[in-house]
Amino acid sequence: MSTSAEAAHEHWPPQSFEDLIGTTRFDVHERAHITVDDTVCRGCPSRECIVACPAKLFVPTSDGGILFNYEQCFECGTCYLVCNREGAITWSYPEGGHGVVFKRS
Amino acid sequence: MKLTVCWKWVTVDGGEPDDRWAGVSPADEAALETALTVAAADDEVVVVSAGPPGAVAALRRALAAGATRAVRIDTDGAASRDVATAVAAIAAGSDYVLCGDYSLDRGTGSVPAFLAADLGAAQALGLVSVDVTRRPVRVVRRLDGGRREVLDVPAPAVLSVEGSVARLRRASLAASLASNSAPVDVVGGPPRSEQVAVVTAYRPRARSLPAPAGGTLTRVRDILDIGGEPVHSESVTLDPPAAARRIVDQLRDWGHLPA
Amino acid sequence: MPDPDVDVVVVGAGPAGAAAATVLARAGHSVILLERGPFAGSKNMYGGVVYPRILDQLHPQWWEDAPVQRWITRRSTMVLTDDQALTVDFRSERWGRPPFNGATAYRPDWDHWLAAKAQADGATLVCSTTATGLLREGGQVVGVTTDRPDGDLRAHVVIACDGVNSFLAKEAGMYGEVDAANYTVGVKETIALPKDVIDARFGVRGREGQDIEILGGTGGVNGGAFVYTNLDTLAVGCVLKLPKLSAQALRPEEIIDGLKRHPAIRPLVEDGEVKEYSAHVIPEAGLSMMPQMTGDGMLVAGDAAAMCLAAGIWLEGVNFAMASGMYAGEAAVEALAAGDASAAGLAGYERRLRDTFVLRDHRKLRRAPELVLSDRVQHLYPEMIANTVERMFRVDNPAPKPGLRRIFSDERRRAGVTLRDLARDALDGLRSFG
Ligand SMILES: Cc1cc2nc3c(=O)[nH]c(=O)nc-3n(C[C@H](O)[C@H](O)[C@H](O)COP(=O)(O)OP(=O)(O)OC[C@H]3O[C@@H](n4cnc5c(N)ncnc54)[C@H](O)[C@@H]3O)c2cc1C
Ligand code: SF4
Ligand code: SF4
Repeated sequence: MSTSAEAAHEHWPPQSFEDLIGTTRFDVHERAHITVDDTVCRGCPSRECIVACPAKLFVPTSDGGILFNYEQCFECGTCYLVCNREGAITWSYPEGGHGVVFKRS
Repeated sequence: MKLTVCWKWVTVDGGEPDDRWAGVSPADEAALETALTVAAADDEVVVVSAGPPGAVAALRRALAAGATRAVRIDTDGAASRDVATAVAAIAAGSDYVLCGDYSLDRGTGSVPAFLAADLGAAQALGLVSVDVTRRPVRVVRRLDGGRREVLDVPAPAVLSVEGSVARLRRASLAASLASNSAPVDVVGGPPRSEQVAVVTAYRPRARSLPAPAGGTLTRVRDILDIGGEPVHSESVTLDPPAAARRIVDQLRDWGHLPA
Repeated sequence: MPDPDVDVVVVGAGPAGAAAATVLARAGHSVILLERGPFAGSKNMYGGVVYPRILDQLHPQWWEDAPVQRWITRRSTMVLTDDQALTVDFRSERWGRPPFNGATAYRPDWDHWLAAKAQADGATLVCSTTATGLLREGGQVVGVTTDRPDGDLRAHVVIACDGVNSFLAKEAGMYGEVDAANYTVGVKETIALPKDVIDARFGVRGREGQDIEILGGTGGVNGGAFVYTNLDTLAVGCVLKLPKLSAQALRPEEIIDGLKRHPAIRPLVEDGEVKEYSAHVIPEAGLSMMPQMTGDGMLVAGDAAAMCLAAGIWLEGVNFAMASGMYAGEAAVEALAAGDASAAGLAGYERRLRDTFVLRDHRKLRRAPELVLSDRVQHLYPEMIANTVERMFRVDNPAPKPGLRRIFSDERRRAGVTLRDLARDALDGLRSFG
């Protein structure tokens, strides 16, 4: 292999998260199945959800709150398990037939 | 009254004809919801789909939601012209035929047009709202350039609705249970036809043109085809009303506005 | 018993629910299998290997039509440090022919297939329908509520097979305090590569496949990782202990990315195209987290009862789910025959679990999850072992070869492992895996 091809091979750009989650199908329902009350989140010392949610749906805001989008959610349950602040997360399943649909998992 | 709803069952991934990877468009669902809303208690709502056996799953969902009868026209890959003829045989006598304005595969939308011709019915497409309380029904149609058109459409008519018109109601548990084994009529359909085959998809390359000559102002003038005397550039600072007046005067000077 | 809509409602058409419904339908009972996804399997992800031996009892010759990707004929256990890898590799041609051992399969295929079998036996599957709660009379569970209009469903017995989050078991008060430390989250990428490339990289042919379980490679987060071969995709993912995850401030997809870049893994996965990204929670703690499984009018099976066996080199849940579902179905048949759907009437369920691999394996491996996820096994042993092996094989001429015992005790001390801890872990390991 030529050195330039080798160099090109060495360079393996990380995949953007949007492209990654874009591979998964979500049949989104108009009602949010998970809501986050970010008045409870203010002052949360751990903010575990930000790191743990595999769909990266918990986004910290500059003023110490949490911005949450429910659309691309795996319905896995990680967030309510790691969050130990009563009332921060209201969790339910989307209406039957909606939400994530796996194909090759 | 008889209402007929046309559903196009489409495999999403180009995959197997398996309902897991297939379905109907939100617009098709909105067509059924519109029909169910129009229908009085003893009216007939027939849902028809020309497709392979896999389409039965979708038709049963239509029955669960409240359709009174479901028909599958047994065909896979027939031409729109032939599909329309087969559908027309079932839809004959309908006051309104409701279609989705687009299918999951974003087809050509020709079936409703052929259907209207076969049925000798009026046609309205691109509907963004349907007022079912009026007879004839009053619809709002999307036109180009963000305009709308309000029409009164007397029966018989073929109406194509957009997905935003209505969300299909959720079937009750009992209806869902019953639909599991609900009968779906099957009628013979047209044979598979020679289809338009996608050979390849590509993005045309940008044409390369010689680099433009001259300075920026000349080039802008060339593009705008202003021509004539080169005008010296000028920077002015004015308040908005004065600036607007100045622009209009300048355009008039250049001959873009009547003197 | 009052007149219900149906003899039994099974909630959740995963492997547990499908097995329960099959048994009941075959016994001639009316049974409704509720699934919240648009089809059975649509909501379910896992690592990727099923061990379907238990299906010999439910669906003899199951391999003839099971939607299998590849038969596992190569099973490897890998220990990774940042730049080392030690692999123990086992291969058996026998696993590539009937009656087979393990197979890779996609859950949207596998669960769909299993639920279709239940339907063929007479169960009624209702998809796109979420059970939202329990109907109760006195202490007795008499059905479920669903999210459909007029959605109440009354039954003599409710079998909750609703997976790891089981809100039904929680509503019934069968779980005590829910502790995040008992759970791991699994994330994975399904990566497409041409079949012949996979065959060549993994040294397999035809329908043969490889299963690689990995200790280490999770960026310092306690957990494990895996690479499995499907026909023309790979499943590459990791399992992460929840409370540790945020402590490391590494996101799940970053951990997979790091795994894919490890010098031992990269040659296997590079140039592949990600086809799906998925995640799901695993009940990891086994026996110590299991809820009460029998109530008046109610049984809990599969992940809903934390029956997944997640013990390091084993990650088995589908077989435990299918078996426990089957036993729940059998117990419900007994209870219906006796006209007694109380907990006493349903006692046959836990008796069967105790007498079979379901609870026996869990009892035997009860220390394993904690051991495998312990800080020593996760952070100290991989280095210690890999360094020991490296020095064994390293040629340090002109220095003579040191003895293995010398190297090992050097490396043990260097890793900061005391003899006492090592002995204790070895004993735990022997008790579990021995
Ligand atoms: C990352 C990961 C890797 C794994 N690897 C393996 C492996 O390689 N091999 C293995 O054997 N096991 C593995 N497992 C474990 C295995 O996936 C589970 O143990 C198994 O799926 C449990 O089956 P179940 O039927 O109990 O639950 P599930 O498979 O979770 O099924 C539950 C079903 O219930 C439905 N449901 C839930 N709530 C409701 C409701 N309220 N109403 C209606 N329906 C509902 C869900 O949609 C789902 O279909 C892995 C798990 C994970 C997360
Ligand atoms: S959701 Fe929970 S863990 Fe996340 S910031 Fe809010 S309180 Fe903290
Ligand atoms: S359920 Fe899972 S994917 Fe959805 S928000 Fe919670 S952690 Fe994220």
